[in-house]
Amino acid sequence: MRRNLLFGLIALTAVLVLASWPDGLIAQGKVVKIGLSLPLTGADADGADAILKGAQMAMNEINTKGGVAGYKLEAQVFDSATPAAGQYDPAQAATNYKKFVADSLTLAAVGPVMSGEGKAISPILSEADMATITPSSTNPDITDPKFQSQYRPKGKAVYFRTVTTDAYQGPNMANYLFHQQKMKSVYVLDDGGAFGVGIADSFQKRAGELGVKVLGRDRLDPKEADYKTILTKIKGLNPDALYYGGVMQAAAKLAPQGYEVMPRVIKAGSDGVYDLSWPKQSGKEAVEGWFCSQASPELVTSPKVEAWVTKFKKEMKRDPTNYAITSYNAVYVIADAIERTAPKKPLTRANLRDAIQETKLSSIQGPIAFDANGDILTKTVSIYQWRDGEIKYVAVAPEK
Amino acid sequence: MHTLDVLLQQVVNGLALGMMYALLALGFTMVYGIIELINFAHFSVFMTGTFVGLMVLNLMGVTAVSASLQGPALVGTLIVLFLATMVATGVLGVLIERICLRPVRHVSGTAPMITTIGVAFILINIMLLTWGPQAQRFPQLLPNWRWGVGGAEISFKQIVLFVVGLLLMLALWHLVQRTTLGKAMRATAQDADAARMMGIDVDRVVVVTFFLGSALAGAGSLFFGLYYGFTGYYIGYTTGLRAFTSAVLGGIGSIPGAVLGGLLIGLTQSLGGQFLGVKWTDVIIFSILIIVMVLRPNGLLGTRTPQKA
Repeated sequence: MRRNLLFGLIALTAVLVLASWPDGLIAQGKVVKIGLSLPLTGADADGADAILKGAQMAMNEINTKGGVAGYKLEAQVFDSATPAAGQYDPAQAATNYKKFVADSLTLAAVGPVMSGEGKAISPILSEADMATITPSSTNPDITDPKFQSQYRPKGKAVYFRTVTTDAYQGPNMANYLFHQQKMKSVYVLDDGGAFGVGIADSFQKRAGELGVKVLGRDRLDPKEADYKTILTKIKGLNPDALYYGGVMQAAAKLAPQGYEVMPRVIKAGSDGVYDLSWPKQSGKEAVEGWFCSQASPELVTSPKVEAWVTKFKKEMKRDPTNYAITSYNAVYVIADAIERTAPKKPLTRANLRDAIQETKLSSIQGPIAFDANGDILTKTVSIYQWRDGEIKYVAVAPEK
Repeated sequence: MHTLDVLLQQVVNGLALGMMYALLALGFTMVYGIIELINFAHFSVFMTGTFVGLMVLNLMGVTAVSASLQGPALVGTLIVLFLATMVATGVLGVLIERICLRPVRHVSGTAPMITTIGVAFILINIMLLTWGPQAQRFPQLLPNWRWGVGGAEISFKQIVLFVVGLLLMLALWHLVQRTTLGKAMRATAQDADAARMMGIDVDRVVVVTFFLGSALAGAGSLFFGLYYGFTGYYIGYTTGLRAFTSAVLGGIGSIPGAVLGGLLIGLTQSLGGQFLGVKWTDVIIFSILIIVMVLRPNGLLGTRTPQKA
């Protein structure tokens, strides 16, 4: 009998726990955790580090002021890169987001950094009714209603962005190279990642529309060391420009070998190569002249943000990037949503998501508001060039 | 550039690449030839070698990326660099054999092979933790001289890679075919038990094999660093897998086979990239491997090994 009683108690407890599971998502102990899954190791570590520190600075500020609506913010940080991949790993990102979902105190997330991760984690978020705010991933498919069944099966937007998408970033770079650099022919490369393929596609499409001759398209294996084969082939085609859609692992090798094989060709990439460690990884002379872009307005050199930059350098002991600022703002979007939700409704993931959808925030990057898919309404793309080992702001990319 | 010039350039590129694969393939083939073990740790020994080379250079005070050493200073630095790195990777290979493989050598099945995969990952993670995740630049010791060959270019680095690579291979060939130690190695490869009965110290032969194979991987890693100008903890995998394929293609266990396989894979990679696109590289390489395996199961130069008891 005693044994049956024990069994009964265990069963009862299990039933109670299961029944209360959805409500278990209500934050307790006056702490809200924000999930941060970033490729903190691997080739893109420097960019990810800047993004992490942007978010941490925002959380520190908020907590120093006593938190938001009585809640302290706490970062829950996981690495999304694996040694086997040598860079971000979508499967690891998915594992990390499942951990966020399993922690009842984690109500929203900042990230991911890479679109390849975004594609893997968006359905997990949709299932959990949990919002994430990406400060840097720009592949348009993730938020495109066309792919709703794939990336947000439950319908509501869960993937919000404080940057615009490659629907603007790739084409606007093509516009810039065509109008300002007189590009007449181009060879397009990507790195096989979701982001790289997507942005190279959108660049290539726009270049074709502008009447630029697309001489070819190929895909780099980021783990390959030797790009001389493809560069020799490209050199034989004699293009005005080379466009690379992708992130740092391939770029670190593409730059020095490209410099060796064809030093005089115009070379351009995206925000995937806006990485302050590039000259260190590839050599100052190798990155000289490369163009890159950001899916945000230029902020770090803007006089409006000067005080912020000084504070960031002092507190975080490194140089900021624009995506450190979009990441900083992503935390403020979540804090603002908590502030609007807490007094009226229980603080759940779903309610917080609804509040984020309604965001109207004025931030240091300008106004932040989202469309029904989670994309930011401001769509500015900035162009940069590497000169003498430093990344210099050039212009806002033409929209046509 | 003319089409023919591009083609010629791709052949030069492919042969240089192939030489690097060949140096690595030798390590796979030697270990397999002696104890029939596919040593996946070889990938990581190669990768570790690049970092050992970096450390040796740093110790000698060469830290600048484009080092301006010339004449005797350059030759001296290179000799010390190659000797120190090859000895270090050789010793690493011996340690791996002694600590991780000898205790499981008599275990049948896949245990020893899995052990080598484990060792590979341990080395990868040690390098990741000590050197960090990003690509490290490797000092460019060799001058950037280039010569026109028709419309193509051949660089000094490529010539060095070729000459030194060939010399190392000839030395190995001589050792295996013409010395007593080589005779012992060949005897062990044919039948370890019979070799032991003839008074050959099989354990010692295995240790020497690991030392030589790993030292060649060390040389290969230095070529990698000097040629590409970078290293990273993840470089072992792709290069290692292609080198392993080269060894199998040429006939695993055969030293000339490893060299032939390496050069073939290098050429396949560069010509395949030229005509079909580099995104097809692995498809092409492994298709050729499968075709050769189906038609000649022992590889191009492999011979049917005597059945072991």
